[in-house]
Amino acid sequence: MKSDRAVQGLGLVAVLAIVATYILGLWITPPAAVMGNLVRLLYIHPPVAWVAYLAYGVTSVASILYLWKRTRDPRWDLIAASSAEIGVVFTALTLLTGSIWGRPTWGVWWTWDARLTTTALLFLLYVGYLALRRATPDVTQRSKRSAVAALIAFIDVPIVHQSVVWWKTLHQSATVFNASLSPKVHGEMAWTLLLGFIAFSLAYVWMLIRRYQIAVLISKRQEILLQGALDERMSTV
Amino acid sequence: MFKDAWLVASKDLRIERRSRVLTNQLLPFTLVILIIFAFTFDTHPNLLVTLSPGLFWVASLFAMTIALQRSFSLEAENQARDGLLLYGLESAGIFLGKVVAIVIQSAIVELFIGFGIVILYAAPLHEVVFLALSAFTATIGISCVGVVFGAMVTGRSRDSLLPLLIFPVVAPVLLSATKAWEDYVRGKVSLGDPWLGLLVVFAIAFGAVGVLTFGSILEE
Amino acid sequence: MKEMVAGAEVVGGHAQWKELPPTRRRPPSRMRRRIVTLLPVAIVVVALVAVLYKGLSSALVYFYTAQQAVAMRSTLGSSTFRMEGVVVPGTIVSTVNGVNFSIRFNHTVVQVIEVGSPPQLFQPKIPVVVVGHFAGKRFFSDQIMVKHSANYVAAHPGRISHAGGTS
Repeated sequence: MKSDRAVQGLGLVAVLAIVATYILGLWITPPAAVMGNLVRLLYIHPPVAWVAYLAYGVTSVASILYLWKRTRDPRWDLIAASSAEIGVVFTALTLLTGSIWGRPTWGVWWTWDARLTTTALLFLLYVGYLALRRATPDVTQRSKRSAVAALIAFIDVPIVHQSVVWWKTLHQSATVFNASLSPKVHGEMAWTLLLGFIAFSLAYVWMLIRRYQIAVLISKRQEILLQGALDERMSTV
Repeated sequence: MFKDAWLVASKDLRIERRSRVLTNQLLPFTLVILIIFAFTFDTHPNLLVTLSPGLFWVASLFAMTIALQRSFSLEAENQARDGLLLYGLESAGIFLGKVVAIVIQSAIVELFIGFGIVILYAAPLHEVVFLALSAFTATIGISCVGVVFGAMVTGRSRDSLLPLLIFPVVAPVLLSATKAWEDYVRGKVSLGDPWLGLLVVFAIAFGAVGVLTFGSILEE
Repeated sequence: MKEMVAGAEVVGGHAQWKELPPTRRRPPSRMRRRIVTLLPVAIVVVALVAVLYKGLSSALVYFYTAQQAVAMRSTLGSSTFRMEGVVVPGTIVSTVNGVNFSIRFNHTVVQVIEVGSPPQLFQPKIPVVVVGHFAGKRFFSDQIMVKHSANYVAAHPGRISHAGGTS
């Protein structure tokens, strides 16, 4: 299959880009003025957080397309679910890498400032979304309800992003996506960070396609099982 | 819409009055929570008094969750949900009715917890009118979210899933309610308190979401 | 002559259909009614949010700046809170229990007595958040958190990175 080859290629490119980010981040880029070698988490933590936002964005768009009657299609629901699953993983990674970064720089693993608290809530909101999907056996009910839940959960995403602007936080403000859109990082450090963003975004796209394919297979399998059960019932009657 | 709401609310309240779950289970349960808080947080004199706004809201939230779970397990039996719709009740009315019933039950529970805090923790509560006002608005906001999710979650896992869905969504309401209470306890009283304003926003916004979406949640 | 035809009463050849009481639900108007309810609600919410925005951004306080803290010293009393400021160069003195230093915000300087070891990045001129309380004019802290800015600047390019070094 041609398209499958393309997906495989995409996966390979994503892995290579991540490897390149690691090599650049760990060996080529200089230590920073204040942070020293701790700065190297910069090439991982913001890109991972960005992928979480991106994943939830895709979930929301797919949920809206599902809820809107003119574009309703079960495939949107599967895309939303696949993306949310990746989003939860990347939110967890954001919290983990942030915590690992926070300990040596701030001096604490965790603190209850607005950015950290809203991110933790974001994680829980989408864990709830996934739990709701699991707990609702009927396909149409599941799709509709989880789409509504996804949209409610997404309200938190802009709050997380703006929290460092709206409130005084220990967490620093945005380095790249700030109000003036002028990155506060330069030279090879900036290029490595950009590569990190691209690498993790590619990885996200690859994961989304694969997860979606699995979701399609699962739903097909359920249809076949259902049909089998029906046939069995009919033959005994 | 309001007539339907009244019908549903009076139905729910009548069931609660006859089953006496509120007086025989919910109020004793909140008392247990208050006692547990008392010996887990009594490490420092006055700590209970300082924490009392937060403890009040945590205890209230637990009690409200139980009330919500009950409210929807009633409808789960014998497809009573479909029954409500088949009677020709408006879905917005059903939503409001459910919310009203939950708010009234919660108000009773919160009054009880309030007395508990004053008597057991020796917390000085002034400005009772403002405390009650903010508690009332916050309760409306939380109930609206609870009723929407309560109708959304069906099946065996409802009781464990409902808190997971509700708590993160109502976290900002709980935060505002606690902050408003802290302001009042400290004697900073005004109708223009930003936290009270935020509670009003939440109540209106969540109420509107419920009124608008409840139909599609019930009728799917 | 009177005969019954499924629901219709035929009187003198003319069929008179029994009027059912009007149903309270009118499906076509529902969408419009939703919009009618939604609009004022949306307006109210937007207006309230706009009004609240200013009040709340200052109300949700993770830390006070050293300047604010000094101005509020009488109301803060001996309560514990977080305070932000920049470490004044030349004031850091190591003690048996920790470290003494001063922090500054704009022109307000507060002397801080820290019990416990400061974090790795603690150094002159770095913004910190200290957790503790006032005692007199001095601030007794038991935790220092370093607040790193969003700027990332390479260390002096001529200097080779030293193994494991963080400064």
